[in-house]
Amino acid sequence: MIKLDSIFGYLPDYLDGALLTIELGLVSTGLGIVLGLVLALARRSRLRFLNWPTYAYIEFFRTTPPLVQIVWLYYGLPLIFGFDLGAFGAAAVALGLNIAAFLAEIFRAGIAGVDRTQWQAARVLGLGYVDTLRFVILPQAVRNVLPPIGTTIIYLIKDTALASAIGTPELLRVGQLVSNETFRPAEALTVVAIAYFVLTYPVALAFTALERRLSAARG
Amino acid sequence: MAEPLIVVSDLVKRYGADTVLDRVSVTVATGQVMVVIGPSGSGKSTLLRCLARLEQIQRGRIYIGGALASIGIEEPRSASDGAAAADLRHDVGMVFQSYNLFPHLSVLDNITLAPRRVLGMPREEANALAMDLLKRVGLEDKRDVYPARLSGGQQQRAAIARALAMQPRIMLFDEVTSALDPELVGEVLKTMRALAEQGMTMLVVTHEMGFARDVADEVIFMDKGVIVEHSSPERIFDNPAEARTRAFLERLLEREGGKRRSS
Repeated sequence: MIKLDSIFGYLPDYLDGALLTIELGLVSTGLGIVLGLVLALARRSRLRFLNWPTYAYIEFFRTTPPLVQIVWLYYGLPLIFGFDLGAFGAAAVALGLNIAAFLAEIFRAGIAGVDRTQWQAARVLGLGYVDTLRFVILPQAVRNVLPPIGTTIIYLIKDTALASAIGTPELLRVGQLVSNETFRPAEALTVVAIAYFVLTYPVALAFTALERRLSAARG
Repeated sequence: MAEPLIVVSDLVKRYGADTVLDRVSVTVATGQVMVVIGPSGSGKSTLLRCLARLEQIQRGRIYIGGALASIGIEEPRSASDGAAAADLRHDVGMVFQSYNLFPHLSVLDNITLAPRRVLGMPREEANALAMDLLKRVGLEDKRDVYPARLSGGQQQRAAIARALAMQPRIMLFDEVTSALDPELVGEVLKTMRALAEQGMTMLVVTHEMGFARDVADEVIFMDKGVIVEHSSPERIFDNPAEARTRAFLERLLEREGGKRRSS
């Protein structure tokens, strides 16, 4: 028998958890997009002192588990550098650093997919590097790689559940606490699963809509 | 001859061990239309790209309006050369064979982007300028259309309008009709002709010999990275001095077979 009071009695707690999941997702997505873009540009650079460390960064963060990265940032950073990000901070930064590596590769592919003549056309018009990127190259690059960007962000939202390992009271952690209290793990995790779906599915829809709108604009 | 607007002196351009331009010197006067002809691989497009500063040059100097615009990286520098090549870029407008419009921007935004960002022109002023230019190239009804919806000829005319929006003193045309369907060539040549009549200084790489004959003040024939012959269009087409020029023109006529005399 499903015990409904083990669900409804805890809805405010789930709501708090969901809000923290959203915050975690937003902060790490923001960090990941900004850093990912910088990394993508550095990776394209012909300067080896930019190119090589970027390569190392990307490969390191792509090939180690995000859970390890979160735990390491939470426990390792205070130990070695003497400063503490807190559970939320460590999780947000670790996830942001992680997704940045994936987004960097996606952005790089997107930028490489824009015809070289677009740079030349911008250049003979006198546009500088930043303006060329912002108004000419990136709008086309992002449009080219919108589906993988969407997938990566959805992965990230789900990966915020890993923050439960260091005690961040996000959705999964709330579910665990509720199930410890009620001894009803099935109900708790059902709520958690549905909540993740409710959070991620609109993101998937938004990306599909965006893709459609942008390809319509191409004429 | 009027005052020289472009002076190219002893320009050398290499790609690796390949010498694409070998000590090319040429002077274009203000208001002059110079047509560059020659077989593919002769370096004529590279010459234009050097003038547009899309290419680094190995030796020589390029002056635009009396100011040093480019200097070969292998040239010994004098103190006065240093800071010169700063902001001359929008003195030179360039139109490409493949149009290279920005596909994600409307025709209007294609034209206004550079004036707004580079010259800091307010949006209304840039829009008004763009509409003027669109009228000049006969596209005033296409302002909100995306490039993919335009024919090749319309795209190329929009590209000409985009280049003109920066009010360049020189326009470079790099085989701008080569990618077009034959029936669309005329409308683009007509636009260029009008521009020449308004006194624009133009350097035109083209295979359109009819255009060269009618519009050019001077014609350069290039082959293998050097200027083989530099003369008036009448001289070059009717009585070329060099055997290589004659051979090139004969080959071209054979291929055309008199099937098309555009515009």
